[in-house]
Amino acid sequence: MQISWRYIIGFLAILVSLTWLAVLSLPDQNLHVVACDVGQGDGILLTYKSSQVLIDSGPGNKIVDCLSRHIPFWDREIELAILTHPQLDHYGGFAQVFRRYKVDTFLANSLDSSSSAYKALKEEVAKQKLKIINPMQSMILRVGLIDIEVLSKDDEGGGVLGAFDSKIDPNEFSIITKISFADFDGLFTGDMPKYISDRIADQIKLNGYNHIEYLKVPHHGSKNGLSEGLLRSANFKIAVISAGRRNRYGHPHKDSLDLLQKYGLKIFRTDEQGDVEVVSDGKSWKVR
Amino acid sequence: MRIIIFFCLIIIVLIRLLTQTHTWREGDLVRISSTVSSEPSIIRNKQKLKIANLNIFLPIFPQIYYGDYIVIEGEVNGSELKNPVIRQLKHQTNFLPNFRNKLLSFYKQALPEPHSSLVAGIVIGSKENIPFDFWDSLRRTGTLHVVVASGMNVTFVATFFLSLFIGFFSRKVAVILAILGIWLYSSLAGLQAPIIRAAIMGTISFGAQIFGKVYSALNALIITLFLMILVDPQIIGDLGFILTFGATLGLIIFESRINDKLKFVPMIFRQGLASSLAAQIVVLPIIFYYFRSFNILSPLINALVLWTIPIIILIGSVAGVVGVLLPPLGKIILLLAYPMTWWFTMIIDLMSN
Repeated sequence: MQISWRYIIGFLAILVSLTWLAVLSLPDQNLHVVACDVGQGDGILLTYKSSQVLIDSGPGNKIVDCLSRHIPFWDREIELAILTHPQLDHYGGFAQVFRRYKVDTFLANSLDSSSSAYKALKEEVAKQKLKIINPMQSMILRVGLIDIEVLSKDDEGGGVLGAFDSKIDPNEFSIITKISFADFDGLFTGDMPKYISDRIADQIKLNGYNHIEYLKVPHHGSKNGLSEGLLRSANFKIAVISAGRRNRYGHPHKDSLDLLQKYGLKIFRTDEQGDVEVVSDGKSWKVR
Repeated sequence: MRIIIFFCLIIIVLIRLLTQTHTWREGDLVRISSTVSSEPSIIRNKQKLKIANLNIFLPIFPQIYYGDYIVIEGEVNGSELKNPVIRQLKHQTNFLPNFRNKLLSFYKQALPEPHSSLVAGIVIGSKENIPFDFWDSLRRTGTLHVVVASGMNVTFVATFFLSLFIGFFSRKVAVILAILGIWLYSSLAGLQAPIIRAAIMGTISFGAQIFGKVYSALNALIITLFLMILVDPQIIGDLGFILTFGATLGLIIFESRINDKLKFVPMIFRQGLASSLAAQIVVLPIIFYYFRSFNILSPLINALVLWTIPIIILIGSVAGVVGVLLPPLGKIILLLAYPMTWWFTMIIDLMSN
């Protein structure tokens, strides 16, 4: 009988330690915006309690490690995934993410990409039977207490990935979103070019969004993304640049950095700091 | 008698070694049609395949799985196939590779990284998904061997099948079924040098029971060594092959002696410390020769983490079998392994910095 008692005690010890680990990993009451260190690319996780939104996934598997670090171990569900536009540095990690997490909704363009990696992603999406929606301007999605509003133009693909080809730069199709969590707001800009930066600035002014705290600097800080008009449009406080260490494009560009400094934004860079985590209770915010 | 047998074996192996022909000439343009017989490893942004003794580096997409049928063309350049082009790729629907892929995909869904790949590595020796940083930490702490399916897995599988069948059949039949179980598991784990070594030794050990012979681990190890070289002479250069033989030799000679001297160490850590010290005696020079470095704290780190391995094998395999059929229930069972993988990864993180 001695042996079976040992197993029972062992089993109970495991249960107790599992419970402690689960309790210790319980999320707080704050929104966490994590710009993941994915190398040259974008991958941003929004997490509030057990609700998660993932905007882009970087070029490869590094996003998986970031999600593992910032989502509690017992939560295997991401409520919303957004692909801003079909370029590898934004979608490369999604196939792995979809294999590991149950993703409820996938917001993406119907613009196609001819690369074999995008084909593999489309196969994975079909295999998992993911629910796909295409963006419509002013559409608002609600995930937990996080509101996500689409600012970019309509896409009428009818819920299909890769419905049409285009000779235009995919960056111009970037899905641009404004997220709000009570009084804390963030603007997520994909790789939008300068002229769209100005257009978004007009929209922001038109809608009266004059306090947006968080700016995901467009196109990894390239000088072809950020415009002065955009910085004038809302009272941005934090600029987050997602770029790879010593990347071959020279991102972020000095002009963009100067511009951000001129408007008094605090700059945080994934190439220098690794994951950039901004925590907000809905009013104030701090950077970790 | 024993000396004569070993002498004959040495002669046969030498003849085999001297008469082996090199299949490829430098610069040959070749087309290879083959099943992928070991799991492709992912190194940064390439996947590495080994087919017909040639290393082949391919882009990550399309992903190639263990068991796939592949037709590939390229140019022979030393031990590498240069400019490889995939002409055909068929995913396998055979039971074993299929089951293996389902198992791995279940682990991925159930736990975050590096916990899920740690379980996959410990249970069936899968290394494809281990995050690079974690792989590097395992290497630097001298604990990489835990993600290699080997002797402990084979013992576990054999014991499980034996206790399962002994109630229904005679001991002889149960032993034969257990041996079949060992080989079934080994093909599931991907038939790499350490697992083949363990499977052959397991077969000899159980075979000795059927024939009523006394099992000598050292004899079994030597016979296994000869058998494997006989079948594939090139395996001599395989580091996994060298390490598994070195470690096993160390365990056979030193483990119980060291264990006797470690009575002062708490029981939970003693076994791990003894086996790690015993294996290191033989393996350390080999590691130093190949990598020019070793971690002096390695036996200590091993002692701290090795007690978790049998528990992870037990929970991981039960959860895996249940999880392939009934994912939600399997996930709950696998969560029980989390405290152990948490402890393991915490110690490795702490020690590798």
